[in-house]
Order: sequence, then structure tokens, then C-alpha cells
Amino acid sequence: MSVAVDIITIVAITAGAFFFLAGTVGLLRFPDTLTRLHALTKADNLGLGLVVLGLVPQAGSLRGGLKLLCVWALALLAGAMVSQLIAREASGQRGDPAMRHDGPPP
Amino acid sequence: MSNPSDALGRLMAHALARAVALLILWLVLAGSDLADLPAGIVAVLAATVTSLRLLPVGPSRLSPVLLGPLALRFLYQSVAAGIDVAWRALDPRLPLRPGFVVYSVCFPLGSARNAFAALTSLLPGTVPAGDEGSRLVYHCLDVDQPVVSQLAAEEAALRHAIRHD
Amino acid sequence: MIEFMTTVLGFILAMLALGLVRILRGPADADRMMAAQLIGTGGIAALLLLGTVTAVPATVDVALTLALLATFASIAFVKKGRANAPDSTGDA
Repeated sequence: MSVAVDIITIVAITAGAFFFLAGTVGLLRFPDTLTRLHALTKADNLGLGLVVLGLVPQAGSLRGGLKLLCVWALALLAGAMVSQLIAREASGQRGDPAMRHDGPPP
Repeated sequence: MSNPSDALGRLMAHALARAVALLILWLVLAGSDLADLPAGIVAVLAATVTSLRLLPVGPSRLSPVLLGPLALRFLYQSVAAGIDVAWRALDPRLPLRPGFVVYSVCFPLGSARNAFAALTSLLPGTVPAGDEGSRLVYHCLDVDQPVVSQLAAEEAALRHAIRHD
Repeated sequence: MIEFMTTVLGFILAMLALGLVRILRGPADADRMMAAQLIGTGGIAALLLLGTVTAVPATVDVALTLALLATFASIAFVKKGRANAPDSTGDA
């Protein structure tokens, strides 16, 4: 039983570390501010979620596990708000964004 | 609905529901030691008053029954979003076609539109980057993706989960 | 398990440090702010791992506080950006 739990922990945390790697690579490689914002918010939030998922079985108590999930929920909520704010700020700085106007959905 | 005592009752019911949710959150964060509870009650009361002030009880809200499927849907989307951005970042050819897409949103300005913008910021390859009247401007990693139809599907899912009192 | 978590903790801290190169490169203030966001998410993950490795539960509270502070820092940045919008410089 505890071996199975440990395997879940190792797989989830390793996957989490991979997404932190991807987030950092994207932050350094992507060509402009807005694409880098995608790399940062999407990859790192998933990385944090997977690390939390791996740590929850090791928390030892129900409250400890729930508290870890609260930290992740707060980070996810904050990421959803902050990414929009930074995107608005960064796109407002561009003089003339190359807009592609799409009609309403069919 | 227009009866004032009905409205007061509804406000009290909402206030109680929020206070219970905040108390549970406080117990998870701070522990259930009885000696700490007075501080928790003060914090919960202050937080409930603040929440009613900043986010007043509106005519519509998310249905608690449909909240679960909606949360699962967006959890799945945020996993897909992480995988999408990870392979684009690690691919040596750096496959990006960044650009802006304008989407006409049916939700009026307010909490429903804010919820839609927050949820769609988790979708693969899109981040809300501004408003143009009734339209939201999205920045996309790949404008060749079917962004508009995907946003329409998410909008339908969210509208389905909103219950009008 | 302790060794494994310590290794991952080191790896995430290394990714965080590498991401900070963005502060040097910029070019826009928003790019530098994103490095601070990275300290937010990566720092939370590192603290949670550290709390489990060292069995110090209070580390989770530190992680919660860091999540709040990183959010407030970004919101303050955006507000500041709006206040001096006319003379802010665009990115290259």
C-alpha cells in the first residue's frame, strides 16, 4: 500500500518538475512578452499542481492534505487573475497589434 | 421576489452559506484548536461582511450541483494547456503562430464575464488580453487553432452552470 | 523518499534561478515582472517540498503567504503601469 502511494508521489512530483523545466525554457525561448506569459502561467501552474498532488498522500493528515490543496487553489486563482492583468498591460503597450478579427461563432 | 422580507431572508441565507464556507476554510488553514476559535470567528465575520460588500448577492449564481463538472472540465483544460505549452517550448523548431483573436461574448459586464475571462485564461493557448465593448480580445499562441469554436464551447458550459434565481 | 524530494527541490530551485535570467534580458517591465511571478509559483512548490522533507508544517503557511505576496506584487505592478501609461516604454 505505502509502496503504491510512494510511486504516485514520485511520478507526480517528477512530472511537476518537468513542467517547471518547460515553463523556464518557454520563459527564456519564447519570442515576445505575451507568448512568454503563456509559458509561465500555464506550465508552472500545472507543475505546482502536480507537486501538490504528489505531496498530498505524504501529508499524514486530512487537514494537512486539504491545506496543500488550498495553497494550490489560491495559486491557480491568483495565476488566472494575474495573467490577464499582465496580458492587458503588455498588449496595451503595443502601438498597433496585428488583430485578426473573427466573426461570432457559427 | 419583490417582497422585502423575502429579499432579507435570501440575503441572510447567502450570508450564512458564505460564513460556513469561510469557517471551513479557516479550520483547514489554522487548525481546530478550541483556544484559537475566537480569533477564527472574528476573522470569519470580517471576511463575510467584506465578501458581501465587494461581491454582492446577484440575481444569478453558479449552481452547486453543476460546479463539480465545470471544475473538472477546467482542471482537464489546464492540464491540456500545460502539456500544449510544454511541447511548444521544448520543440527545437519552436512551433508558434502568436496573434490576437477577438471573441464576441454574450455575458454582460460583471461577475459572469469576469468568471468567463478567468476560466478561459486556463485554456490551452489563450489568455484574455483586453476588452472591446462586448468583445474580449484573446492573445493566442497559435492562431491556426480553432480558438473561436473552443471559446464558444466553454461559454456554453459556463452558461449551463449559472442558475438564475 | 527524502533523497528524491530533496533532489527535486534542488532542481526546481535551479529552474527558478535560470528563469531569473529574464530579469536581465527584459526587455519590457512585464517580462521582468513575470520572473517575479516565477518566484511565486516555483517558490511555493519548493517551500511545500521543503516542508515535507524537514517535517516543519509551518512551511505551508510560509508558502501561502508567498502566494499572496506574489499576487499583490503583480497587481501593484499593473496599477503602477496604468498610472504612468503615457511614458512607459514598449517591448522590442
